Amino acid sequence: MSAPRLAIGGLSLGYDGEVFLRGIDLTVDAGEIVAILGPSGSGKSTLLSTIAGVVPEVEGTITVDGRDVTHAPIHERGVGLIFQEPLLFPHLDVGRNVAYGLRRHGVGRTEAGRRSVELLTWLGLPGYESRRINELSGGQAQRVALARALAPRPAVLGLDEPFSALDTELRQRLAVEVAAMIRESGVAALHVTHDPREAETVADRVIELSALGH
Amino acid sequence: MSSTPVWLRWTWVVPAAFLTVFLVYPLVVLVATVTSGAGVSLIDPLLAPTIWQVTALATVQALVSTALAVVVGLPLANVVSRYRFRGRAVAQALVTVPFVLPTVVVALAFRSLLGSGVPQGFVLVVLAHAYVNLAVVARIVGAQWVQHSGDYESVARTLGASRWRAFVDVTLPSLRSAIASSAAVVFVFSFTSLGIVLLLGDPTTRTLESQILRQTSVLLDFPGAAATALVQLVIVTAVLLGGAVAARRSPARRLQPVGLRPLPSRLGARTAVLLTAIAAFVIVLAPVAALVAASLRGGSGWTLSWWASLGSIDAGTTRLGSPLQAVLTSLGYAGLTAAVAAVIGGLAAIAVIAPGRARAVGLLALVPLGVSAATLGLGILLAFGRPPWDLRATGLLIPIAHSLVAVPLVVAVVAPGLRSTDTRLMSVASTLGAHATRAFWTAYGPVLRVVIVGSAALAGAVSLGEFGAATFLGRAAGPTVPVQIVRLLGRPGEQSLGVAAALAVVLVLLTLVLVLIVDRLGATPSTRRSGTA
Repeated sequence: MSAPRLAIGGLSLGYDGEVFLRGIDLTVDAGEIVAILGPSGSGKSTLLSTIAGVVPEVEGTITVDGRDVTHAPIHERGVGLIFQEPLLFPHLDVGRNVAYGLRRHGVGRTEAGRRSVELLTWLGLPGYESRRINELSGGQAQRVALARALAPRPAVLGLDEPFSALDTELRQRLAVEVAAMIRESGVAALHVTHDPREAETVADRVIELSALGH
Repeated sequence: MSSTPVWLRWTWVVPAAFLTVFLVYPLVVLVATVTSGAGVSLIDPLLAPTIWQVTALATVQALVSTALAVVVGLPLANVVSRYRFRGRAVAQALVTVPFVLPTVVVALAFRSLLGSGVPQGFVLVVLAHAYVNLAVVARIVGAQWVQHSGDYESVARTLGASRWRAFVDVTLPSLRSAIASSAAVVFVFSFTSLGIVLLLGDPTTRTLESQILRQTSVLLDFPGAAATALVQLVIVTAVLLGGAVAARRSPARRLQPVGLRPLPSRLGARTAVLLTAIAAFVIVLAPVAALVAASLRGGSGWTLSWWASLGSIDAGTTRLGSPLQAVLTSLGYAGLTAAVAAVIGGLAAIAVIAPGRARAVGLLALVPLGVSAATLGLGILLAFGRPPWDLRATGLLIPIAHSLVAVPLVVAVVAPGLRSTDTRLMSVASTLGAHATRAFWTAYGPVLRVVIVGSAALAGAVSLGEFGAATFLGRAAGPTVPVQIVRLLGRPGEQSLGVAAALAVVLVLLTLVLVLIVDRLGATPSTRRSGTA
């Protein structure tokens, strides 16, 4: 069996000097989706932010593809994030949003554009590359956010309740589609949510946040 | 609004009449002076090379001043508006100080601070302009920046962008509208500067404003001055419109108020934030401290004699009175300006919220924002400084000009206050038996009382520091404090400098008192008249 893409050992979660969960151990394999379940304010988002490096870690180790990234800057960790809101860059069109990460990883403009078109087509948004952000529906915007996050081929993808802003029907449909695409992409996904049904729908494993540490 | 009092539909009459007589008519006279001078066509003064040479010099100076204000103002905006640290409120208030100081005072402060090290000219003028306008950038950009959660930047970072790259790619574009707005204001301020240019400049730093003064007081070329004023009016209007268009084109991002963030945990970033805060203190306070020191220093050491001579006629520049008399003159003008501007601006603001076409008056009241103080002064002088309407002896010309300068600010303060009031309160009052006028006061009275007093104090502060219009209009009467300071500095000797510095400190204190009143009442204007130079 190959090494996990994401391995967390003895991690503490905290914010603004306060630690609220210690000793978190977790591994996620390629193409696996692990759902972390917990109520609002329990620290689920902080877990993702800590793994991505947005929140400085308190203690512990974070390993991505066998590389210790505990102290690596955010942009060198290989961890993508998708938030509740799509957070698409409003001054860039859809294609340039998707190409953004590719360009930052040294991919040329033409090649980045070509791969953006491919990704958008794969996600069911063919021909959307020239659209403005404010022309997208909520579901389309979240798909573009997924395309943008997957474009630079991160090892790990954190999904922070990405469907909570959508209506129930769209949420369920999109959750299933996105889960399939994540598995196909081979990324190790950590999906945090407060909704047990959503967790069961998308995840290979469901873990209560409180059970992860003490 | 079924319960709207009838008189509300007519509040526009008084401000419309005031603005027509004292703003539109003088500008018409100004244009007529250019076009109907004996043997002078509209084209002739505009073909003179000097006007375009000065325009080029002023443009370069204003561009460099703007660039410097933005480059220094951005980190200040970031630190004082986004991070939580001890002394943040003080730092935020301090950044505003240069903005409210009269420009003549700033010029004198810079002369006191750097006069011996930096020769008068381009560098000193640009530094002073950047100093005054730090608050414009820090406040306008900070107000937008504080609403950023940082999530967009985090997304960019997870996609592979370095910290700097995320700032350039994501943060800067999102601040574009605020930067464009503030840059347009800073450019206009620097482009139309007078007090700073007169006191710190050399022949390479002339502005159209100083050119107008020269044409009217030295060359006695009124058609030429009017042409210069028109060129300036066109450029200023174009820049302000350009700023507004650039701001509107910025992509909309859903913004939500975000709480202050803790200081960064990384030592380097934390140090950078704290050093920026300390730099803000030093940058703001150094010139003011130098000014206070200059008022207490003579050739033989520390002295109080400059302060003691404030009441002496010999220390003044005219036989019309002592420096202290200038303070009283300025206070009188400030009081009159406060009253007139509050009434005219208040009625104009009410007209803005009133139904129907009265809103146009609200827009007319904002026009003085685009007209420089010297242009206003010149127009009023041409219209009311000679027969058949010679009002010079009445002493009203300066308060009228200052009121025109202050009215847009009063509207900017009062109108949002009125708009934020729930109109249903009026209906509720009506259903409880209040007649229309009573219902209006029940709904709007509490907010009106506060914002009118606040904006009157602001108008008073503007009047205290105004220099451009007072220079044109103050010859017959006693000089105002800024005019007196400039005249003192035009005389040789350490006494003149010391007394000017003491007078400037008095002006700083008076201005700060008025600004504190404004702050206390929560009336924080989003704009300031550019022509207080």
